[in-house]
Amino acid sequence: MKKCIACGMPMQEVSDYASGDESKDYCKFCARPDGTMQSYEEKLDSLTNFIIKTQGLDKKAAGSAAEAMMKKLPAWKNM
Amino acid sequence: MKENKRQLQKNTTRKKIIESAVKQFAINGLTTTRTSDVAGEAGVSHGTIFAHFHTQEELLTAVIEDVGERINTRLHEVAGGQKGFNLALKAHIEVLTEFEPFYTRLVIENRLLPKEARDTFLMLQSTVSFHLSQAIQKEVEAGSMKKLPEDMVFNGWIGLVHYYIANSDLFAPESSVLKTCGEKMIHFYLNMVNYNK
Repeated sequence: MKKCIACGMPMQEVSDYASGDESKDYCKFCARPDGTMQSYEEKLDSLTNFIIKTQGLDKKAAGSAAEAMMKKLPAWKNM
Repeated sequence: MKENKRQLQKNTTRKKIIESAVKQFAINGLTTTRTSDVAGEAGVSHGTIFAHFHTQEELLTAVIEDVGERINTRLHEVAGGQKGFNLALKAHIEVLTEFEPFYTRLVIENRLLPKEARDTFLMLQSTVSFHLSQAIQKEVEAGSMKKLPEDMVFNGWIGLVHYYIANSDLFAPESSVLKTCGEKMIHFYLNMVNYNK
């Protein structure tokens, strides 16, 4: 099973992939509306907001956590 | 070929060290376990540990990452797809039960851990919140669950689970607190967030 290179989510179903395309290495949550992969800034922003929305963290703490998480993922390792 | 064999051997040793560290950390604590005890458990020399992990901190982060990854994968298997909130909670308890001794240490010692280890723990919680938030959304849309702030729904649940885990010696001194009190927690929590039928 492949894991999304940009957020780490395991992609089990075809519908988990960006545009439902199994040849892609990233998931539907990391894709832009046109199917291309979000940039580092876009992903950092959406991940920070996701952490605030679902876990209620302080904005700065959420941003720092999101940055640390992304550092571990293949797509952003060298950023 | 020779290189592959060596790499294979290296990976096997790394896995063995991580497995042994999970056990030792669970018994002796995350911040107080000695690397020599991990070496003893794994049956490798003390120096071998440092050939794989330069510092105790690096080992700790790698272990949290590894357990987090396994919890994440299991949770995705059990709770992924179109399942209800009650099943997502059940899956969460079920998966945590598999790693309960180690997870208990994580809960108790979280604030004492180095930043990288804490970030890794937070990463694990984010995957849990991802699974729960997907289930919450569906339940709210279906009208079975109250529309409450998502962060409070998540923190309310985690707060409950972690309180029982942190005080497991008081709630279930002889056994697994998640096995003993898990059902009760789920039942109570669903009554709080769901509309009465």
